[in-house]
Amino acid sequence: MINIEADKIGKKFGKTSLFKDINFNLTKNDSFYITGPNGSGKSTLLQILAGIQNPTSGSVIYKSDNSIIEKEYYKNYFGFTGPQINPYDMLTSIENLKFTASESAGENRIIEYLEKFDLYRHRTKAVKYYSSGMKQRLRLIHALINNPEIVMLDEPCSNLDTKGRDILYGVLDTLKKDKIIIIATNESEDINLCSKGINLEQ
Amino acid sequence: MNSRILNNIKKDFLIEIRNRSAVNISFAFAGITTLSVSLAAGGAPFTPVVHAIIFWIILFFSAMSGLAHIFIREEEEKNSLFLSLYYSPEEIYLSKLIFNIILFLSISVIVTALYLFFLQVFPVYPLLFILTVISGCFAIASITTILGAIVSKAGSGSSLFTVISFPILLPVLWTAIRLTSVSIDGSGVQEYRNIVFLLAFSGVIISVSYLTFKFIWTEF
Repeated sequence: MINIEADKIGKKFGKTSLFKDINFNLTKNDSFYITGPNGSGKSTLLQILAGIQNPTSGSVIYKSDNSIIEKEYYKNYFGFTGPQINPYDMLTSIENLKFTASESAGENRIIEYLEKFDLYRHRTKAVKYYSSGMKQRLRLIHALINNPEIVMLDEPCSNLDTKGRDILYGVLDTLKKDKIIIIATNESEDINLCSKGINLEQ
Repeated sequence: MNSRILNNIKKDFLIEIRNRSAVNISFAFAGITTLSVSLAAGGAPFTPVVHAIIFWIILFFSAMSGLAHIFIREEEEKNSLFLSLYYSPEEIYLSKLIFNIILFLSISVIVTALYLFFLQVFPVYPLLFILTVISGCFAIASITTILGAIVSKAGSGSSLFTVISFPILLPVLWTAIRLTSVSIDGSGVQEYRNIVFLLAFSGVIISVSYLTFKFIWTEF
């Protein structure tokens, strides 16, 4: 069983402190939100938790059955998406997903998720022809396709229409029963989905 | 070969086939310069050394215009974080290296065919000529792969790429020009041993690049 410990995490850009002394411990079944005004460091904190950025102070520790996991292997445990994650525009959605899906995921799961997120009929279209909402759905599939133990979503509802949001919340409702879900968001619906969280304004 | 590396190479080829930017730029450059040299020469005979110099200058600038593109494109189109989330730095490096070697060998086949045809060059030692082109391409591709990664992270585009590549490529170009000249005029064939230098140089560059790529590619 995986768990994540955030131990006194702080981040500075130059002399400006974005946040400091952030502590929490997340384990299976936890769904955690990170909220706060624009520029408060929600995405930065999420990227620190994913090991994409380093904190200025403190540390993030991943443990699997109480043994510490090396940072370079974090990505084997999480699925991450956000506005910074861009699938290849020149490839179709199915080609992008085949590129990122692990061998265990298989083509069946790719098709299952494309159908679930209503992208199956657009599967052979290059991503550059997708609308912003379709691209966001594809990003979400990428975060989920390898069935990760931790799901990290940065602004998951951005560009999604009502139907897209309903699909996402349906999927997250199922996933949160046996995974760790971390969402950086300002949407009240996303926050209500979570069992605990942090407001970076405070 | 690791299936994940193959996956990555396949992805780069698919994008290149649909985009054709690196291939088009390199092939256009190679074709135009070879034809220009041929027309400018107007049938005047060149010495083997001059042939070798012109041939490698064309190959060098063809490489400069195309090979850096592979990493710069990942940065410009903001795909590098996406790629990093699913592939290790080692897998990324090896796949880009293999892609660049294949791409540059294809470019060199076109340049060689055009050059030999339009400038009427017939190497006395064709095998030495072919081996020189292959080992020279291998060395240039290994250097440009790691420099392409550095330049893409520096965010300064391909202009910096040519400038910083030149001093590192100088020993490769110097050796390749000497070997090409020998293969054309047939003198000093014992210099074929210098092919080992080109291969050893590539080996050193690839080993150092493989070990350091993680620190270049990972931003934080």
